[in-house]
Amino acid sequence: MKATVAEGVELGTQLPTLTVCFTRERLVRYAGASTDFNPIHYSEHFARQAGLPGVIAHGMLTMGTALRVVTNWVGDPSRVTSYSARFTRPVGVPDDADGVEVEFSASVSAIEGSLVTVSIDAICAGQKVLGAARAEVDLGVRVPHRDHES
Amino acid sequence: MAITEAHAGRRYPACDPYQVSAAKIAEFATALGDDNPRYRDGSPIAPPTFAAVISAHAWNQLFSDPELELSLERIVHGDQGFTFHRPMRAGDVVIATVIIDRVRVRAGSELVSATVDMSDRDGEPICTAHATFYHAREALV
Repeated sequence: MKATVAEGVELGTQLPTLTVCFTRERLVRYAGASTDFNPIHYSEHFARQAGLPGVIAHGMLTMGTALRVVTNWVGDPSRVTSYSARFTRPVGVPDDADGVEVEFSASVSAIEGSLVTVSIDAICAGQKVLGAARAEVDLGVRVPHRDHES
Repeated sequence: MAITEAHAGRRYPACDPYQVSAAKIAEFATALGDDNPRYRDGSPIAPPTFAAVISAHAWNQLFSDPELELSLERIVHGDQGFTFHRPMRAGDVVIATVIIDRVRVRAGSELVSATVDMSDRDGEPICTAHATFYHAREALV
C-alpha cells in the first residue's frame, strides 16, 4: 500500500484536500480531549477580555486537523517523523450551527530517499492560519527521483 | 523578578508519569474528526499531535514558576514543532521534561522558547517538542 503511494510521488504532487467545519461543539470536544481548558476557546466573555473579537479555535486543533491531510494520504500515522507550524492568525468560531470552514491542502515540497516533506496550507476566510506548516514522512521505500512534474 | 535571558537553560524536574490509554487516544482522534483505524484498533497508536497534550503538562511547570512571573492569560502560542522518534502507543508511560531554550525580552513582552523531551519508562525517546510563546507583560487588550 505504501509502495503505491511512493510510486506516484514527485515534487509538487498534490495530496487530496480536506475541508473541515470548526463549531463550538468541536472546540468543547477538543478542550476535553486535550485538557486545554483555556476559556478563550469556549467563552465569549474571556475571549473579549483577552482582546480577541470572540471565541477562537485552539491552535493545536487547527494544527492537528491539518495533519489529517498527510495521515489520510500515507495511511499509517507512524510514518510521520516530524511536524511543525507557526500560528499566524486566530480562527474565530461563531456560536451557530454552521461554525467556520477551514480548508487544508498540501503538496510534496522535498524528497530525499524515502523521506518526503509535505507543505500544508490551512485557509480560513481567505487567509492563511498556519505558517510554514511542514510534515516529514518516511514512506519506507526510496522514492524514484524525478525533478519535474509531468 | 521576571523572566530574563538568564533563565535560558533552566530545566524543570520530570513531570508525573502520564499513562496513555486507548480510551484517551480514541477521544482525542474523535475530537480531531479523524477516523483513521490505527487510532482504534487492538493496539492503537496516538495521533502524532497527541504529544502536545503531554507537552502542555510540562509547560505548566514553567508557567507556574513564581520566579518567572508569567500570566497564563497573557500567553500566546507562537509556533510548535515535533520530532517523532517512535509512535506513542496505548499503555506507554510517558515521562516529560521541559527546558527553557531561549528568552528574548522586548519592550513589554517576552518571547520564550522551550523544549519538552518525552520518553518512556526505559528512557527510550518518544517525541521532542519545541514551542515558542509570546508573553505580554501587560494585558493584551
